[in-house]
Amino acid sequence: MNLLALQRNWRAILVVAEMTLRQTVMDAFILFTVLVQPLLIALLALWMLGGRGPEAAMFVVVGSGMTGLWSSLLFVSGNSINVERWSGTLETLVGVPTSLAVIVFGKNLANVTQSLISMVVSYLLAALLFGYSLQVDQPVQFAISLLLTIVAFISFGLIIAPLFVMNPSVQHWQNAMEFPVYILSGFLFPVALLPGWSTPLSYLLPPYWAARALHGTSTGGSGLNEVLFYWGMMALFSVIYLLISGHLFRRMLVKARVDATLDME
Amino acid sequence: MHAVEVGNLRRVYQARIGVFRRSIKEVVAVEDISFSVMPGELFGLLGPNGAGKTTTVKMLATLLIPSGGRACIQGYDVVRDADQVRRRIGFIFGGERGLYWRLSGIDNLRYFATLYHVDPDVVKKRIPYLLELVGLKDRGNERVEGYSRGMKQRLHVARTLLHEPEVLFLDEPTIGLDPVGARDFRQVIRNLQNENKTILLTTHYMFEADALCQRIAVINQGKIIALDTPEALKRFVRDLSVIEFEVFGVSFDVVQRLREQPFVDSVAVEDREQKQLLLVQSLRGPEAVPDLMSLLNGVHVGRVVVREPTLEDAYVRLVGGGA
Repeated sequence: MNLLALQRNWRAILVVAEMTLRQTVMDAFILFTVLVQPLLIALLALWMLGGRGPEAAMFVVVGSGMTGLWSSLLFVSGNSINVERWSGTLETLVGVPTSLAVIVFGKNLANVTQSLISMVVSYLLAALLFGYSLQVDQPVQFAISLLLTIVAFISFGLIIAPLFVMNPSVQHWQNAMEFPVYILSGFLFPVALLPGWSTPLSYLLPPYWAARALHGTSTGGSGLNEVLFYWGMMALFSVIYLLISGHLFRRMLVKARVDATLDME
Repeated sequence: MHAVEVGNLRRVYQARIGVFRRSIKEVVAVEDISFSVMPGELFGLLGPNGAGKTTTVKMLATLLIPSGGRACIQGYDVVRDADQVRRRIGFIFGGERGLYWRLSGIDNLRYFATLYHVDPDVVKKRIPYLLELVGLKDRGNERVEGYSRGMKQRLHVARTLLHEPEVLFLDEPTIGLDPVGARDFRQVIRNLQNENKTILLTTHYMFEADALCQRIAVINQGKIIALDTPEALKRFVRDLSVIEFEVFGVSFDVVQRLREQPFVDSVAVEDREQKQLLLVQSLRGPEAVPDLMSLLNGVHVGRVVVREPTLEDAYVRLVGGGA
């Protein structure tokens, strides 16, 4: 890819993200996914903590924020191609010179960024309602972890969106995929509490490494080497998922153009 | 070089049928069509519902992969060189879909301009120009959800011209528009033709095709059954006269009786609110009127007009009589 193509794609990603945010900022379903549901989870978890100290509260703030990230990824990013199909814009998007994968990347960037609101809301809840004085222990490393989390989640979204289009039967499992990932990724409690056989499953999930990095840097529970390892795993998964997604998008588009399923009419 | 070149194009769909014992049935949408369009030409594709017009346009716009044959746009193959084709074409499908209703007209155009790789500095000048061209200059900042159907169609035109494509595919662009909206839209198409764009237009409306197109291909059941200028197609029915009877409550039996007459080529019935218009294509011209009147005995007949055949009459004859 030459510099001009890179520049054009980057511009497309930013404009797609901007237009996606403009459309979804008042969407009731998205507001529930990134705001109301994580807020309820945070409220419940903070109440159950019963004053175990700011470190545990920070764990809950980050964890409940991550539930918003995952739910948004699963339901909003996962449906990002299908939504275009349902609204009749998919044909128009496939007919432009910009790759559909680049367009979906921009949509996912908007969704993932928007879902970070859930972390802010959880923080405010813990600070204002429960009176915790919360501080991020390693702010620079936390910010880098957050950036890598965004990239990892976008990459994961680029896998599930074409999969949901090609295999509607997989999409039927969408609801069932929400809570197991909360648990297996250790969003709200450490994975060490789970039975040993489930650990390899956690290792395969990018949200698990994101949770380790964010929890570790926010509470100060992880050393630099550990954090570097988590970052490496997130970067590795992002690269693998981006490569797989390129292949999936090509297959999906050929299949849709053969089966005539770009449009619902 | 032709702007559009189509050779033995074929498209088959697979339809799933049955609930418990499911099977796959093959439906041929486009059988075997070949035609070419010259640069700057306005070429029409006419045909009844399900004839294969939209399928053909979607294959040319790279949105469907042909089952056989070949199609090229300005020398680029629609399957192998899809990216090159997409840079050179614009397309509109009839109806209101294909736009972001929660965004303003301007935001829709900015969005698609970016996806068509139009330079941001060019976009700033081009969007106001296009909004003016399609008569939406004062409504560009409003959300598309508040637009009428005609306004949405005109915004589609602006969208499709953002990257200054050389070839345009307009698939039934005036469908569902009110008469004034349709007339304005036809003027937009004429303006595009004056800019030397190559246009492939599909339509149900014969007068539209007659007024706009330089050549017309009539397509039926996935095949081209005639291809010529509107004047030459009309000559196809020059041996006929069309006799229009304004009737009230004509029965199927009477229509069938008319069809059986040796001097009658075809009979079509159009509903006009409380009355019907009986269109009889006859080889005998005005002399057939008394015989036809006697066959309409018992039917209340109003106005009777004998006229020269139009493109629509040629079309009716080509696609197989009338209903």
